[in-house]
Amino acid sequence: MTAAGPTHEPGTALVHVIDDDEAVRTAIEDLLASVGLSVRSYGSTRAFLEAAPVDGPACLVLDIRMPGQSGLEFQQQMARTGLRLPVIFITGHGDIAMSVKAMKNGAIEFLTKPFRDQDLLDAIQHGIEKDRLRLEEDEATATLQACWRTLSPGERDVLPLVVRGLLNKQIAGLLDVSEITVKVRRSQVMRKMQAKSVADLVRIWDRLQPKT
Amino acid sequence: MLSKQRNRPGLRAVFIASLLICIFVADTVTDFEIAFAVFYIAVILSAIGFLSTRGVVFLASVCVGLTAISLLLTKQGSFEAGVFNCGISASAIGVTTYLALKTVAAQAAAHDAQEQLARVARLTRLGALTASIAHEVNQPLAAVVTSADACRRWLAHEPPNLAKARQAAERIVRDASRAGEVIARVRGLARNEPSRREPLDLNEAAIEAVAMAQHEIERNGVALQWHLAEDLPAAMADRVQIQQVIGNLLLNALEAMAGLPSFRRELEISSSRDADGNIVLAVADSGAGMKPSVLEHAFDAFWTTKETGMGIGLAISRSIIEAHGGRIWATSEPRMGAVFRFSLPAAGKDTP
Repeated sequence: MTAAGPTHEPGTALVHVIDDDEAVRTAIEDLLASVGLSVRSYGSTRAFLEAAPVDGPACLVLDIRMPGQSGLEFQQQMARTGLRLPVIFITGHGDIAMSVKAMKNGAIEFLTKPFRDQDLLDAIQHGIEKDRLRLEEDEATATLQACWRTLSPGERDVLPLVVRGLLNKQIAGLLDVSEITVKVRRSQVMRKMQAKSVADLVRIWDRLQPKT
Repeated sequence: MLSKQRNRPGLRAVFIASLLICIFVADTVTDFEIAFAVFYIAVILSAIGFLSTRGVVFLASVCVGLTAISLLLTKQGSFEAGVFNCGISASAIGVTTYLALKTVAAQAAAHDAQEQLARVARLTRLGALTASIAHEVNQPLAAVVTSADACRRWLAHEPPNLAKARQAAERIVRDASRAGEVIARVRGLARNEPSRREPLDLNEAAIEAVAMAQHEIERNGVALQWHLAEDLPAAMADRVQIQQVIGNLLLNALEAMAGLPSFRRELEISSSRDADGNIVLAVADSGAGMKPSVLEHAFDAFWTTKETGMGIGLAISRSIIEAHGGRIWATSEPRMGAVFRFSLPAAGKDTP
């Protein structure tokens, strides 16, 4: 394992390269450094897992044929353990079956060695962009969940009914409270959830639902 | 000139015919009680492998017919016993024919299956080997290409990062020589069977190689002609390797003629000496021949006109012949098939 990351600052994009061939690893590291990308490389998937995770958008350049765990196996393990990093495969000899499997499991790109530098760089840029979006979304969801936690039990009862489009009078009837109470709780919900309109609240509610 | 193949089948036909006549005469002169006609099964058995299936069936019916004729011609003894014996002989001939043909068919099927298996095994081994070599070479090659790209990008910086570019260039040199080492290892692998040069009679080697392909030649119904020069000097060569080349040329010729009607499939093998005293062997087929554009590439590696070919047979043949200090080439004339020739220096001349 080589540590090529002293220049890496937390929060900026980082490329992880896993390849058992040191020459290939060094060459890719240098190529990425020449275009100003931060990179860390590892000789095996185990070395990668042992290294501390870094926050900020990242993507993974993964060799397929390696002693020990193969790249394809590692991709499956990532899915099982919830490690969500965009993957770019590189391989010395790939067949169609291999690439289909890789792409079906969500890989961004499948490159055969020797590959064009621009193809790799494009794929990496795509991967990092994808990871950045994912992180932003995760963060927004986390903020909304924090807002949700500030609601009182009564306010939590009101929210779904407002989203369903019921009138204050109907909500008061359903919850067996006065219309005034509903009005107060409703405005509290709007304030705490930072919703500007009912439509906004619907969008936020939607976001809080567990994704299937 | 030698002529090996031709008189043998004739001899066998004469033998079968005389056997047929002897049995007929004996069957006719002996009396009804002697079932002499069962000996016709000897005729059937000697015709198996010589005649086609249809020919054997025809011969069997002739035998049955002769049995019936000699029953009518025979004078002495009880006619009733004669009819009985005639029936027994006819069934014996029928059963023998049936069983013999079955056996031959089964043998041919077994032979085919075996051959196919051997071919598949060869291809699989080759496929695995190719994949692993490709991987071994691609690895340093990928490093070289990527380092070259990095080098270019360091140079394009403003100002250029010369230190980084030089490092990348050094890596390129290192990885390129690593790729070279892989190739050298593969070469060593291919050479691990050292060739054994000994005085070789090319005529003899060719006859042996043809004998190995005899079954293929017969099965394809190809007429074979020999024109071997006598008193050829020996060549210093590896017998097995030269026979591999001849075998490869033979199989190519058979494939070239596969689409022809069987009466037009002719294979001619000839040996001679050229003006420089080299020994030349030629394999000529009566197939469609080859266009000049095809001739040009015929010996290139991984170049093939066959759908299932690998394009390495002729390339390997060329390596073998050139390693022996010889030359291999192909010609093709309109309205004739292709002729593949190779020459080997005669022993005593300097071999490189």
